[in-house]
Amino acid sequence: MKQKALYVLVLVALLVSACGGGGQSAVVRIGWAGSPDTLNPGMAILVEAYTIFELVYDSMYELNLDGSFTLSLAESVSTSEDGLVWTYKIRDGLKWHDGQPLTAEDIAFSYNLYKDTPEYPYMNGYYTPYFDTIVATENNEVVLTLTEAIPNIESQLIFLYVLPKHVWEAQDKLEYENFEMIGSGPFKMTEYVQNEFVRLTANKEHFATPPKVDEVIFQTFENQDALVQAIKTGQVDMITEMPNTAAESLKADENIELVVGAPLAPGVTDIIFNQTDPENCPTEEGGICSGHPALRDRDVRLAMAHATDKQRLIDVILLGLGNPGLTLIPDGLGVWYNDSLQDYEFDVAKANQILDDAGYADTDGDGVREMPDGSESLTFRLNWPSDSINAPRMAELLDEMWAQIGIALEPQAVDPDALTAQCCPAFDFDIMIWGWASDPDPSALLYVYTTEAIPSGSSETGYSNPAYDELYAEQQVTLDFEARKDIVWEMQKIVHDDVVYIIPFYDANVQAYRTDRFTGWLTGQAKVELADVTSLVLIEPVK
Amino acid sequence: MDTPPMNRSRALLQKIAWSIFTILFVIILNFFLFRVLPGDPARAGIRDPRLKKEAVEILRIRFGLDKPVINCFESLNPIKVGSCDVNPLDTQFFIYIRNLLQGELGFSYHTNRPVTEILSERLWNTVLLIGAGQILAILIGVALGVFAAWKARTSLDYAAVMVSLLAWSLPTFWLGIILLFWGSANGFPLAGKATPGMSSMPLLQQWGDILWHMFLPTLTYTIVYMGEYTLIMRSSLMDVLSEDYILTAKAKGLSMFQILKDHALKNAMLPLVTVIAINLGFTVAGAIQIEAVFSWPGLGSAIVEAVGRRDFPMLQGAFLLIAVAVILANMLADLTYTYLDPRVKME
Repeated sequence: MKQKALYVLVLVALLVSACGGGGQSAVVRIGWAGSPDTLNPGMAILVEAYTIFELVYDSMYELNLDGSFTLSLAESVSTSEDGLVWTYKIRDGLKWHDGQPLTAEDIAFSYNLYKDTPEYPYMNGYYTPYFDTIVATENNEVVLTLTEAIPNIESQLIFLYVLPKHVWEAQDKLEYENFEMIGSGPFKMTEYVQNEFVRLTANKEHFATPPKVDEVIFQTFENQDALVQAIKTGQVDMITEMPNTAAESLKADENIELVVGAPLAPGVTDIIFNQTDPENCPTEEGGICSGHPALRDRDVRLAMAHATDKQRLIDVILLGLGNPGLTLIPDGLGVWYNDSLQDYEFDVAKANQILDDAGYADTDGDGVREMPDGSESLTFRLNWPSDSINAPRMAELLDEMWAQIGIALEPQAVDPDALTAQCCPAFDFDIMIWGWASDPDPSALLYVYTTEAIPSGSSETGYSNPAYDELYAEQQVTLDFEARKDIVWEMQKIVHDDVVYIIPFYDANVQAYRTDRFTGWLTGQAKVELADVTSLVLIEPVK
Repeated sequence: MDTPPMNRSRALLQKIAWSIFTILFVIILNFFLFRVLPGDPARAGIRDPRLKKEAVEILRIRFGLDKPVINCFESLNPIKVGSCDVNPLDTQFFIYIRNLLQGELGFSYHTNRPVTEILSERLWNTVLLIGAGQILAILIGVALGVFAAWKARTSLDYAAVMVSLLAWSLPTFWLGIILLFWGSANGFPLAGKATPGMSSMPLLQQWGDILWHMFLPTLTYTIVYMGEYTLIMRSSLMDVLSEDYILTAKAKGLSMFQILKDHALKNAMLPLVTVIAINLGFTVAGAIQIEAVFSWPGLGSAIVEAVGRRDFPMLQGAFLLIAVAVILANMLADLTYTYLDPRVKME
C-alpha cells in the first residue's frame, strides 16, 4: 500500500512539473508512424531518415514545395559550354554545428565519399554514376566534372547531403551510426532514440533559413489510431500521416487544419499486368513468366481499363482524398506530368464490345469469357502485399467491376517479400496491386517501363517497346528543358496508349496541424509536406 | 530432504545438458528457418526504381548472402542446388556458427547497427513492461484466487470468477485501445516509453515519467493475465481445501489464515507455477499486441519489423534470446517445484 501511495505521489509530482515547467521555448511536437532506419546518409533507405537529413544537413540545392530548386550552399554556379563542368562558388562564413568552418573541401569530400562507396545503394547507385571528378579549389569553389552532360543536375544533387570532413574521415563509412550527426542545416541533432523519438534544436545561426521555433520533436506512433488521438488531445502539434477514415473527424475539429496534396517524394498506386512472353522472359535472372496469355493482348487490357471506375475506387478506398491516375508519372511531378492525356472513360458496354470484337467469348456459359481458341478462361490471379491497407478493398471492387465484362479474379494477399520474389524478375503472377515511391525527377519512374529494366527487377510488367526505350535514352541527355519535357510527355502518351498499367490513383499526403499551437505552415503549394524543412523554418508559435 | 546429494546434482547436470542441447538445436533451426522464407533481404521492403540491380548485388555481398547457404545448396528459397565442393568454412552457415561462438550476432540489415545493441535496448524495455505486468498480475491474481476459494460458493466468489473470466477473455488489442482512448482523455501519454527531452532531468523525474508511460500498457497486461491466475489459483486451492489433512487442521482449531499459510497454499501453488513459468519465458518475446497499441519500443515490435525486412541477423538473435529465456524459465519452474513439493524429485 505504501508503494502504491509513493507511486501516486510520483505521478502527481510529475503532472505538476509537466504543467508548470513548460518554460518559454517553442517546441514543435510532430507525430509520425515511422522512424529513421539509420542516420548514416549513405546507408539510409526509409523516407523518415531523409526527412531528418533535410533538416540537419544542407545540400547544394534545396527542393521547394512548388517543385523548383534554389541554390543553397553555393551562391552561384556556372557551367561549361559542353555541360560537363559545373563550378559552384560556395558561400563564405558557413559553419558546422560544432563551430568548425564549412568549406568547398567538405563538399568535395562528401561527393567523393558517395562516389567511391559502392555500398551506398542510392547515393552511389543512383546519384553519382555521372560523376567523373570533384575538386575543391582555393577560391572556395567546387568543380564537378561529369562523364556525360545531364539535364537534371539539381535533382541529382539535392540528396547528396554535405557531411563534415573532420568528422567523417576518421569513421568507417559503412558502420558509422552517426548518432551525433554534425550537420550545417537549420536544425541540430540533440537526441535520438531509435523507434521512439528524434529531438532537434534550432540552429539560429543558419545562413539562409534560421528557424523561428526552438525545438522540433518527431515522435513515433506505431498505432495510427493513437496518432490521430494524439493530435486531437493536443499531445502533438502536427501529424504527417493518418488513415483516410480519420480525416472527417479531424476536419470537424475547429483547432485542427487538414491538408491534402501530392507528397514531396511522388508516390503512385498501380495495377500491374504481367506482359512477359517466352521471348523476353529473363530466364537467366530466374524468370518464370507464368502470366496469363490474354494479358499480353492490348485489347484485353484496354477493356479492363474501360471497366475500371476510378472515381469509385477513390471514393470507396481513399474516401475521396485522391486524384485519378494516368501513367506512372504522377501529377505531383508538376511540369513533367502530361495532363493533356485523355483517360479511358468508364464504359462497361464499350469494354464488353472490345472483348467481343477481339474474339473472347463465353463459350461454356459460366459467365467468364474464354480465350479466342477456347483454351483457357479469362481467370486471373490477383495478388497484393499483405501489409497494404488499401489493396484488399481495391481487389474486392476490381473483382466486382471486371466480373461485368466476363473476367474472373482469384484474389490473394501475399507477404511483401514473397511478392517481390514472385514479381520481378520472376514474373510469376498475372495481376498485382502495388505501388512506387520515387525521385522528383521523372527519369526514375520512366525507367520502370524500359526493356533494360526487365532483367534488373525494376520492370514489373515485362513491357518492351524499342521506340519508348529510344526516347528514354534521349530524355536523359536532352539538356534543353522544353525539349526534354516534350519527350517525357510523348513517353507517357506511348505507355498510356499501350495500356501498360491501370493507374487507379496517385498517392496523396494527408496531414494535419493544430491551429492553436503554431502558425505559418507552408501550404497551398504543389506539394504537401508539413515536416519539410521549408515549412518547419517558417512556423512560429501562436501568440 | 532425503534425496542423496549426489543424485540431485547429477539430475541437475542432466537438465543443464539437455538445455544446452536444446539451445544448439534452436541455433541451427534459426539459421534455416528464416532462409526458407521467400524474399530477398537486399530488396525487402524497398519499392524504388532508384535501387539498381548492381546496388542490390553489392548489398547482398555486404550481407554475405552471395556465399552458398551451406555445401551443396546455393540458396533455400528458391531451393538452388549448388556445388558440394565449396570450402565449408566459406558458407553462410559456418560463418554464422563461427560468429555466434565468438559472441557475435552481426549487424542488422535494416538499421545498420549491431544486433546485440538493439536487442539489449529492446529487451530492457520489454522486461520492464512485462515484468511489472506479470508481478502485478501474479499478486492480484493469487490474492483474488485465494479469496475466491476461501469464500467458495458465496456471491463474492461468483463475482470474482465472473470478473476473472471476463478479464481473461477480453481481446488484448481491444482492451488496449479502449484504455488508450480513456487514458488519453485523462492526460496519459499515447505512445512511447518516455517524454522526449526527459533525459536531461533528474533521475527521479525520469523514472516518474517512465512509470507514467508504463501505466496504461501495464494495466492492460495485468488485467488480461490476472484473470487466468485467479481462476487457476481458485480451483487449485479449492481442491486442496477439500483434502482430509485440511479437515484435520481445522479440527486442531487452526484459524483459516494459518491453514492457508501453513498447509494449503504451498500445495495449491503448484499448477500456478507451471503457468507462470511458461508465461515468464515468453515475457522476453514481449506482448506484441500491447507493444503495438502503445508504441512501446520492446522486443516484440522489433521482431515484427525484422520479419518484414527479412533482417536475418536480428531474427536469429531475437529468437535465440527467446529460446534461452524459455529454457531458463522452465528450469526455474522445475527447481521451484522441488522446493514447494519435495515429493517431486529431480530425475
